[in-house]
Amino acid sequence: MYRLFLALRYLLTRPINLLSIGGITISVWALVVVVSVFSGYLHVVEQHVRTASADAAVIGLPPWAEWSRLSKVLRDDPNVAAAAPRLAHYGMLQRPGQRPPPAPLPGRGALIGGDQPFLSVIGIDPAAELETTGFAGWLVAPEVPPALRCADPAAPLAPRDGRPTVLIGLERMQREGLAPGDRVVLTTAALDTAPDGDKAPRKVQLELTVGGAFKTAHAGFDGNTVFVALDTLRHELYGERDDFVPEIAVRVRDERQLDATVERLERAVQAATERDSRGFGRVLTWRQKHELYLGNVAHQRGLLKIVLIVIMVVAAFLMLATLSMMVTEKTGDIGILAAMGGTPLGVTTVFLSCGLVITGVGIVLGLGSGTLTAVYLEEIRQGVRWATGVDLLKVDVYGLDRVPCYLEPVWMLEVAGMALLTGLVVSALPALRAAFHDPLVSLRGS
Amino acid sequence: MSTSPPVLAAEGVEKHFRLGRRDIPVLRGVDLQIHAGEKVALLGASGAGKSTLLHLLGLLDKPSGGRVLYDGAPVHDLPVAERARLRHQQVGFVFQFYHLIPELTALQNVLLARMMATSVLGYWGQRKQARAAAKALLEQVGLGDRLHHRPAELSGGERQRVAIARALLAEPKVVLADEPTGNLDSTTAKGVVDLMFSIQQERGLAFLLVTHDEGLAGRCDRVVRMRDGVVVA
Repeated sequence: MYRLFLALRYLLTRPINLLSIGGITISVWALVVVVSVFSGYLHVVEQHVRTASADAAVIGLPPWAEWSRLSKVLRDDPNVAAAAPRLAHYGMLQRPGQRPPPAPLPGRGALIGGDQPFLSVIGIDPAAELETTGFAGWLVAPEVPPALRCADPAAPLAPRDGRPTVLIGLERMQREGLAPGDRVVLTTAALDTAPDGDKAPRKVQLELTVGGAFKTAHAGFDGNTVFVALDTLRHELYGERDDFVPEIAVRVRDERQLDATVERLERAVQAATERDSRGFGRVLTWRQKHELYLGNVAHQRGLLKIVLIVIMVVAAFLMLATLSMMVTEKTGDIGILAAMGGTPLGVTTVFLSCGLVITGVGIVLGLGSGTLTAVYLEEIRQGVRWATGVDLLKVDVYGLDRVPCYLEPVWMLEVAGMALLTGLVVSALPALRAAFHDPLVSLRGS
Repeated sequence: MSTSPPVLAAEGVEKHFRLGRRDIPVLRGVDLQIHAGEKVALLGASGAGKSTLLHLLGLLDKPSGGRVLYDGAPVHDLPVAERARLRHQQVGFVFQFYHLIPELTALQNVLLARMMATSVLGYWGQRKQARAAAKALLEQVGLGDRLHHRPAELSGGERQRVAIARALLAEPKVVLADEPTGNLDSTTAKGVVDLMFSIQQERGLAFLLVTHDEGLAGRCDRVVRMRDGVVVA
C-alpha cells in the first residue's frame, strides 16, 4: 500500500510533474491527431483512386495480344462482368500553332495535375468503357458545367467536325480555357521497328476536337489524363494492327472475390498469350496497379510517425529529468522506509509507480484530447479561420472538401503501448538508482 | 533480570568497512543482550560504533562476523525480504533527525508504518482501525490537535513525538533509538524522554537508547559503554 500512497503523494506535491504529464500528453496527442489525419487522407486518396480505376487491369500484354481472343478468355471467368480494351500512352496537348507549355520546375509534383504539359493519353472503346468503369458518371459529374459537357454522353468520342475528339479533365479544361468544339493538337511519339529489327522513334501529331470534360474524384487522374478513341490512337501508333490490345480494364461481379479472380485471370491470360512456353501479361487489382502511389502516401505517413516519435523521446527525457530530480530529493526518505520494513524492491516500486502514474495520466489525456481533436479538426479549422482568418490546413490543395480523419484503434493502442514502454524504461532508471541507494547513508545524514 | 531468552542479542558481532584497500574494523566482537521491558543505554564517544551496532541489531545492515538473534533465533543472515519483514514486525526506530516524510501529515507519517506490510486491498479493509490506532498514538504523545500538520509546521519536539508514534504503531517488541534527543533543547528533550520511557514501561518494550548524554543514560536500567568498537563496561 505504501508504494502507491507515497508515489501519489510525491506526485501531487510536485507541480513539476505536470511538465512530464504534459510532455507525454502532447506526444500521444500529436501521434493520434497527425496520424489520424494522414490515415484519413490515405483513406480518401484510396477512395479517389478507386473511383477512377477499373476493378482490375490486364497490363503488359505482348504485341501479338488480340482483343477478340482475350476478351473471350476474360468473359469466360464467372466473376468477370465486363471488360474494355485500353491503350495507355503519353503525350502533350496544345492549341494549334502554339508550343506546349514548359516542363514543370524541378520538384514540382503533379498531385492534382494539370499544371505540367505531360499527359497520360488513354485510348478507349467508349461503349465497352461505359460498361466496365465509372466512365459514364465521370462525363456527367455535377461539377462539370453544362457548357463543358460532351454533347452525347452515350457516344462521347464520336468524331466532330471531321476530326477525332478528345475528353479532357475538368481542371485542365478550365485552366487552359478550352471548351467543347475547340481544336487541339496531341503530340506524341511512336516506336517503329524497321525490317532489320532496328527501332526508331517517330513523331506523331494528331489534330483533335475537344469533345468535353470529365471529372472523377481523383484530381491527379483528371489533371493528367485525356481520353481519345482507341481505334484512332492505335492506328497512329501501331498502324493496321486493328485487333491489338496492350491493356484491358475489367469489372468484376463480386469485389470480395477480386484477389482470387485476378489470380485466375492472370493464369488464363498467360495461357492465351503463351509463346515459347512463356506466358505474358499481368493482371492487377486496382490497388496493386496503384501500389506505388498509395505506397508513397503510406510511406510518408510512416516517416511522419518516426518524426512524431521524436516528440515522445523528448517527453521521455523530460520525465527522466524530473524523476531523477525527485529521486535525488527523496533519498532521505529511503532510509526511513528501509527502517520501517521497506525493501529495495519496494523503494523501486515507489518511484516506478510515480513514472507509471505520470505515463498513464499522460496517455489517457493524450488519447482523449487527440481523439476529440481528430474528430472535430474540421470544426476547429473553421473556428480558427473564422476567428483569425488563418487557414491551418488548406484542404483544397489536396482536392478535399474537409480535413480527413480516420481513427485507427490499433494505432491508438500502439501509441499507448509505446508511451507505456517509454514511461516504464524512463521510470526504471531513477527507480533503480533509488533501490541501490544505501539506506544507512540517509539515516546517518541529517 | 528475566530468565527468558533475550528479545534481542548480539553475539561476537563484528563489522568492518573497506576504504579503498584498507579494512577498517568498526565493531570487534560485541556481545549484548536486551530483555523485554528492559531499558539499555549505549554510551560512547563518536566513532565508538554505537550507531553501527544499532543498525546491525535493527537488521538494517549485515555483520561481518558474529550473530544477531531475535528471541534466541539467528536473524542476521536472513534474505533481504525476510529481514525487512522482521524489522517491520519487531523493531521500531527513532532517529536523531526524525526522518519524517515532508509530504505527509503527522497522521499520514504514522499511518505509513501500517501501510508498509499491507496490500492496497488489505489496507482498505482495515483503514478505519488503522486511522483510529494512529490517532490514539498521536493523542498519547500529545499531538491530538496536530494530526493534519506537516513536519514543516511542527517543532523539533513535536516531530520527534510523531516519530515515536510512528515507531510504535506496528507494535514492535524492541525500540531502537539513535540519539533521539540529540537535536532538541534540554526542556524538550526531557519531555520526549519522559514520554518514551512511560510508553516503554506501559508496553513492556525492550529499549536500546544510543546517547552521549550521561544523565539520560543514568535513567536507564543498564548502561553499556563502548570504546573503539568493543563493549568496555
